[in-house]
Amino acid sequence: MMLLLQQLINGLMLGGLYVMVAVAFTLIIGMLNFLNFTIPALFMVAAIMMWATMTGNLPFGNETLTGLFGEGNLWIAGIIVAIVVVSLASLIIERFTYRYMKAKYGDATEHALPLVSSLGFLIMFEHMVISAYGSDALTVVSPFGDATFTIGSLLFSYPQVISLILSLGIVFTLHYIIRRTKLGRALRSIAERPETATLMGVDVLRIVPIVYVITGLLCAISGILFTINYTTVDAYIGDTVATVAIAGMVLGGLGSVWGAVIGGLMVGILEVFSIYIVGADFVKVPIWGLLLIILIFKPTGLFGHSAIGKGKF
Amino acid sequence: MTDNVLTISGIHKSFGGLKVIDDVSLDVRRGSRTALIGPNGAGKTTIFNLLTGVYPIDDGTVVLDGIDISHVPSQDRVIHGMSRSFQNIRLMPHLSTIENVMLGQHSRARSFGNLMFPLGLLSKNKWRDEAEAALENAGIGSYPGEVVANLPFGVQKRIEVVRAMVSQPKLLLLDEPAAGLNEIETRQLQELLENVSASGVTILVVEHDMHFVRNLCDHVVVLNFGQKIFEGTPDEVHQNPAVLEAYLGRDDSQSAKETTDAS
Amino acid sequence: MSGYLESQLVILCLSIIYAYGIFLPAASGQLNLGAAGFITLGAYASGWFNLSDGLGISMPLSIVLAMLFTGAVSFMIAFPILRTRGVYMVLATFAFAEVVSGLTINMEFLGAAAGMPVDDHAPVTILVIAAIAVILFCFYFMSTRLGLALRSIHDDESVSVLFGVNVRLAKVAAFTVGGMLMGLGGALYGHHYNYIEAQSFNVLLSIYILLYVLLGGTQTAWGPLVGAIFFTVVPELIRNLAIEIGSTWLADSRFIFFGGFIVLMMVIRPEGVITRTMQDRVASIFSGGRRKNSGEAE
Repeated sequence: MMLLLQQLINGLMLGGLYVMVAVAFTLIIGMLNFLNFTIPALFMVAAIMMWATMTGNLPFGNETLTGLFGEGNLWIAGIIVAIVVVSLASLIIERFTYRYMKAKYGDATEHALPLVSSLGFLIMFEHMVISAYGSDALTVVSPFGDATFTIGSLLFSYPQVISLILSLGIVFTLHYIIRRTKLGRALRSIAERPETATLMGVDVLRIVPIVYVITGLLCAISGILFTINYTTVDAYIGDTVATVAIAGMVLGGLGSVWGAVIGGLMVGILEVFSIYIVGADFVKVPIWGLLLIILIFKPTGLFGHSAIGKGKF
Repeated sequence: MTDNVLTISGIHKSFGGLKVIDDVSLDVRRGSRTALIGPNGAGKTTIFNLLTGVYPIDDGTVVLDGIDISHVPSQDRVIHGMSRSFQNIRLMPHLSTIENVMLGQHSRARSFGNLMFPLGLLSKNKWRDEAEAALENAGIGSYPGEVVANLPFGVQKRIEVVRAMVSQPKLLLLDEPAAGLNEIETRQLQELLENVSASGVTILVVEHDMHFVRNLCDHVVVLNFGQKIFEGTPDEVHQNPAVLEAYLGRDDSQSAKETTDAS
Repeated sequence: MSGYLESQLVILCLSIIYAYGIFLPAASGQLNLGAAGFITLGAYASGWFNLSDGLGISMPLSIVLAMLFTGAVSFMIAFPILRTRGVYMVLATFAFAEVVSGLTINMEFLGAAAGMPVDDHAPVTILVIAAIAVILFCFYFMSTRLGLALRSIHDDESVSVLFGVNVRLAKVAAFTVGGMLMGLGGALYGHHYNYIEAQSFNVLLSIYILLYVLLGGTQTAWGPLVGAIFFTVVPELIRNLAIEIGSTWLADSRFIFFGGFIVLMMVIRPEGVITRTMQDRVASIFSGGRRKNSGEAE
């Protein structure tokens, strides 16, 4: 019983990371109507930047940072570097996936433009990392050592708990922003009807980059936390880790932020239990099999709207 | 062979709580050229969508040449002999002119042999020849190497008519075929439709251009707010007070009638 | 033929076959991001049928059976998957490929994580013949009325319905035949390299193949051919050029350029390299205007 509870805890911790990536996916699908495959890439880039900063492997500036922060605190520098790099990348990506969309006739495959562009960026970023650092596993030493605490006989690790709290906190803040602020209203009007949003005075060209940066930050924080918690990263964690968050998004319902939260947590729990029951090799089957079943029988997921995603990519 | 190629009885349709078609019945005589007119929002295109099966009817029946097609799925209605053109041009942007027309033949070519016949590889085959001939009869070339979207508007509209024609329908539904056409193009369209009608096809056209209607049609049905308010010859319609009121409002219709009476 | 050239030719032939498998549904607007799944099925099926201490079926027959098997699976999942649309379909096919990958890596009788050796060998000539056959078949397929229907569905599904096209069946046909082609490719892969492992066919492969097809152009049957050739040949050319000029950076970066190229293409020419208009214009040059009908007959 305790063992099951422990697995549940581990699942929630992992789920916390998935939540942020799932929210990133769901925001872009809900607002801009496409599946943004740069999200896994940005997750990976943030994780790699974190590793690179902490192990002195940045293309430049390593000594400066060590001097500024001190050897043991490079993780703080890592956070800053990862966030800056991902934010810049997000702005560049926005230019090329949304701004220049040139669907001439508006037919089926031409709606796939932003999706295809995002796949292009995914390939670029993955290979840039492989080019610079190779495709093998890269490790860091956790700045918090082996910081764990126990409640009863259940084991918790400080970084993981903080991650979970941080993820939920960020999503709550995001929710608040979307529901209560002017920016949030603008975002919601773009999500409903982009054409009318412009007519109503929403500066779409200024808001959309903000959406990209917000989602980029979500991926970045998730990637940073991943590095701290799991200490081993590689160029492919975008494919192997972040894409699982897609299942969380679909489970929660495309376009629903709360759905992504619940979906992300559930997928984390599902993954941990699957590994426990059928072994790590087999874990793909329950997760993606579940996704496949949801897509076929209840594509709107738990909280999604049917209008999103249909006919768009 | 019945006298009416199309009979619709007691059609009702609501979207959500809004009733858009309210107890509409009409007969379309074989070989006639009927216009369906009415102010914007009267439900004319909705009638077309109901006839072609895009939306299911809530109540009533649609009988085409003696066969009740009220519940026949959309993709099979064309086989029964109904074909249409669209208000906003809906040609396939990535298909050539000839191929757009050949799509119209699809309902006649659904056998496995026909489906798998290499239309595109053999430059001389009966389907292609038929499509080219149809275009030529309509006075349109086949514009090889051109994307249909780049062709003049009037040409695209006529291609749509040709496409609908090659399915060899008994009843041709045309949704505002003259909209957006200049004088010359309108006359070319009229000639085309007169030829179509002469070949035995019944025409039902939704239109706003009353001049065009008077020149082409022998019968007019007027809709307003989803109900049929009048039907008769173009001249009768022009003078009917209920019709004038529908278009112009009560006070204006009075003065309009006086103007018409005086002329 | 040198070993290097031969290995490149093998990759090219396989890429062409895979690309046409994705092209058929893409021509009707269905994006399949799960190529790896179908290829995996074909590879393992053919290898398994062919196992000399198993069924010991001859290679040609094994390949045919593998194609039929992949076709049957494609057919069965086509119905539910084609109920999804747009992004949902992309995700569903992606999920399918992941499920296949997860299953095959665990099946002991397929060698599990260690992979499966394949007995009979298919030399490069067989692959070339197969690739040519696939190209010819697809040109034929797209020239039929079914092909025309698929392209109509791509442009405007509702109007296609109104002219009598059975959209459901057309999409299922394209998806199934596409699946069979990918199964063929997988089977040939197995028989040529005489070894398969589940990691041979991963997410990146699915992404690349879809990209070849979209960048080549989905409007004509030339698109996937051009796409596959361009994206297997050009990176190699760059690599060779880079080695010649002594730049290892350039050699390793060829995929970065590939990614960048994709992004650029979506900005300047999203419909792909080969479009309908291009094909028609080139064709009318060759036929010397024989089929040209006067545009002035007004």
